[in-house]
Amino acid sequence: MLTNNAASSGPAIVVEGVTKTFAPIGGGARCRALDHVSLTVAASEVVVIIGPSGSGKSTLLRTINALEKVDEGRIVVAGIEATSPKANLQTLRMGVGMVFQHFNLFLHKTALENVMLPQIIVRKKSRAEAMEISKAFLDKVGVLDRGDHYPGQLSGGQQQRVAIARALAMQPQVMLFDEATSALDPEMVGGILDLMAEMAADGMTMVAVTHEMRFARSAADRVVFMDGGTIIEQGAPEDIFDRATNERTRKFLSQIH
Amino acid sequence: MSTSALQVAISVMPALMAGLVETLKISAAGIVVGSALGLLLGVIRGQQFRYASPAIGFYLHVLRGTPFLVQLYIAYFVLPSTGISWLKWDSTTAALVALSIYTSSYVTEIVSGGIRAVPAGQWEGAMACAMNRWQSLRYVILPQALKLILPSLAGVYVNLIKATSIVSVVGITELTRQGEISILRFPADVLLIYGIVAAIYFSYCFPALKAVEWLERRAARGS
Ligand SMILES: Nc1ncnc2c1ncn2[C@@H]1O[C@H](COP(=O)(O)OP(=O)(O)OP(=O)(O)O)[C@@H](O)[C@H]1O
Ligand SMILES: [Mg+2]
Repeated sequence: MLTNNAASSGPAIVVEGVTKTFAPIGGGARCRALDHVSLTVAASEVVVIIGPSGSGKSTLLRTINALEKVDEGRIVVAGIEATSPKANLQTLRMGVGMVFQHFNLFLHKTALENVMLPQIIVRKKSRAEAMEISKAFLDKVGVLDRGDHYPGQLSGGQQQRVAIARALAMQPQVMLFDEATSALDPEMVGGILDLMAEMAADGMTMVAVTHEMRFARSAADRVVFMDGGTIIEQGAPEDIFDRATNERTRKFLSQIH
Repeated sequence: MSTSALQVAISVMPALMAGLVETLKISAAGIVVGSALGLLLGVIRGQQFRYASPAIGFYLHVLRGTPFLVQLYIAYFVLPSTGISWLKWDSTTAALVALSIYTSSYVTEIVSGGIRAVPAGQWEGAMACAMNRWQSLRYVILPQALKLILPSLAGVYVNLIKATSIVSVVGITELTRQGEISILRFPADVLLIYGIVAAIYFSYCFPALKAVEWLERRAARGS
């Protein structure tokens, strides 16, 4: 098994009426990245978010692990109230793995050390134990033989595998993917998507922003279409891709197909 | 070198060596204290806190916009005259305070610049792995920032070593002062004695520069 998903009762993620604005560069009205967004994700559910650039997809993901503070609204992840001022953000983030478009591997650490570091610092594991766990996860994502390489010595696809191993090794209950394949050479994309599909099949709760519509169609339980900081339409993949009711959804899909 | 020049060189050497020891001590103390203070302030400034960062910016502008000699005079002559007892420093303390603060102003700017030069994605990667701000800084950001700033730090340290010559004006008999005293003994050999003094400074600064070059190369092998 690739993942270790605690089957807890109740939804894995609850987003309720979340609004997030940014101060614009150079003055003027604040940019409304999220406008009263609500979304509930069940345990083991795979939700794919699609939408045009600037629609607030990344911002929504980043509010879920509190990388971004919300102006208004409430977010609960695995029973932890992320939006509470008293929330322990470290405990919250231990339960939420995040995979970024540009990997964000620690550049001064080897692949193996990248996976080990949070094990040692956050999970307080011994070096030996952290190494054992990290090697197991590097092996699972297929880059154990690259353990001694620095990020700069790895291909994009390999870096993303290491980043996935680093996140999974923390034993999260939820995984967030923000365009995990957008920065990859085309021949690397399939492998990463296969890895994500495997996680989904293992029962990991996932929220993935992606432009890979074939992946959305095959792996998603639900597809969410966002535009202008709001959720315009959501439903089963075939409902969104084949019978979208909203004009904006149809227009967006026609442009990318 | 003529016999007499050699004799002069030999007879001034003990004094110059004693001066070098004093220069070594105050420059080492200035480097340690100035770097510690600069690291602390630089780490705060590098994270762009709402009030602390601009306050530190003001501190830096004041320090860097005034000559070191004036700062030294303030530490030695002005502060003791305020009548506050703990500001009544002897010349060594005044020199160390002035040198440390002077060094810290440069180290602060370099450290904060180094922290800001580390890509934002590194913070995000660390935070997403549940590290807190301090852990992210300690294990992810600072190691990368320090690697970037080693060459600039070397420059500051070499400047500090050279700046220690100025503290002779408050009566510290470091290398430059010992050179001046030696010239009073051998007024005809001004050129020779200053030549020796310069050579001693050089032989102190040059290995420092080389050591940092070596550190840089070693760090660069990493990635
Ligand atoms: N840190 C920030 N400061 C200011 N504005 C921001 C910031 N982050 C996002 N925004 C703005 O918020 C809006 C939503 O951005 P977001 O990154 O969530 O969009 P997205 O759907 O992920 O787009 P893309 O597909 O291009 O990644 C955009 O208008 C963007 O300019
Ligand atoms: Mg985005």
